[in-house]
Amino acid sequence: MIQKKVCMVGVYGTGKTCLVQRFVHSIFSTRYQSTVGVKIDRKVVLVDDEPVTLLLWDLEGRDHSHDIAPSYLRGAHGLIYVVDGTRRDTLDQAFELRDLAERAAGPVPSVIALNKMDLRDDWVLESGDIDRLASESWHPLRTSAKTGEGVEAAFGWLARATVGGADKADT
Amino acid sequence: MTGFDVDCFGLTHVGRVRGNNEDQFLVATLEKQMRIEHSSIELEPLSGGTLGGRARLLMVADGVGGRAGGELASRVAVRGLSEYAAQAAGCFQRFDVSQEADFLSGLEQGIHRTHDLLIESYGPQAPATTLTMAVLAWPRTYIIHVGDSRAYRLRGRTRAFQRVTRDQTLGEYMIDAGAWSESQAARAQTSGALASAIGGSELRPTVNVVDLEPGDALVLCTDGLTKHLGDEEIGQIVGAAISAESACRLLVDRALQAGGSDNVTVIVARTAPAID
Repeated sequence: MIQKKVCMVGVYGTGKTCLVQRFVHSIFSTRYQSTVGVKIDRKVVLVDDEPVTLLLWDLEGRDHSHDIAPSYLRGAHGLIYVVDGTRRDTLDQAFELRDLAERAAGPVPSVIALNKMDLRDDWVLESGDIDRLASESWHPLRTSAKTGEGVEAAFGWLARATVGGADKADT
Repeated sequence: MTGFDVDCFGLTHVGRVRGNNEDQFLVATLEKQMRIEHSSIELEPLSGGTLGGRARLLMVADGVGGRAGGELASRVAVRGLSEYAAQAAGCFQRFDVSQEADFLSGLEQGIHRTHDLLIESYGPQAPATTLTMAVLAWPRTYIIHVGDSRAYRLRGRTRAFQRVTRDQTLGEYMIDAGAWSESQAARAQTSGALASAIGGSELRPTVNVVDLEPGDALVLCTDGLTKHLGDEEIGQIVGAAISAESACRLLVDRALQAGGSDNVTVIVARTAPAID
């Protein structure tokens, strides 16, 4: 079976673990537990009726004391950058993280998940931000690990892109 | 500094209350090594720059109290998984994604086969056990976990002491599922019941990866330690100890002084600090 390594990348507290938990186990917890190192989950998805195993590497988030370790990113076939839509700094740092991640993993397909869509009252990202991301070759998708909105779409798009490239994913 | 100067030690004690010790532990070295004596090419690409072809295998297991044969279950698990780990020892020579995935799948299969062996041999009331296993192939460490034994990492650079694994208990699962609040879980008498165990009614192994740095330490332990010592105290003892053996003895002594209500087992692995 085809196996694809997908890394979840972002600042601490953006919801990387929650997105994986929602996608793999269909659960959501409000309790915050920081990830130490990497937690690996897997899920089999179908791409054009072919089973593909996604190995989901949920990396500990970047914080003031440490950066993402490039060694975890080596060999990744796809990346999901996770941004907290209620914290603008997490979007700004996503640009820095993309430089770091692409140096380690190369130019692999990626999605940027604009997460916590359920917190609409606290949302700080604007349509201009989305336009800017799209114009700079990001693939932005709005997600909520709490409600499940956009979660299947994000992982599904990336699974297709890792198998056949972004063109295939967009078809 | 080769990156593989690891000081490892393990220790178990029956405690002050139980009549027998249902805990097990293992500290082993897995070797599959090419020794380069002379070469016209640089060594870094050959070795992958990371691994010396040796790995340390660390395991703690806690036979489930109250079920017949907890001691047997933990022994079967440690023996079985050590064999799987030895078979898979050649798989982590490089950061190759497919090899790494195969290696982890092999260890997970080993856990499932051990589980099936216990169920087939003893039926639905089979003896059960927790298992926390680390394969340290410098600097990468793979941690496979079932139950409520634990793995911690002490970051030498910052002294941060953090739990890598999450307890697979009913209380933790109910919180994660959003069914219980933390206060509800704290009140519930069944909160500490295992929600996943080898030989138990549910089995859900988890996999973590941690890349170590010089000066870091790993701690694996059964709940006989964590019933009596908080994370902060464990971290302080490991951080201050002069050796892995000293850390293990201090931790076990401290658990016994605090009551020793259960079997207590600890493994400490300390990597050598960087030489400036």
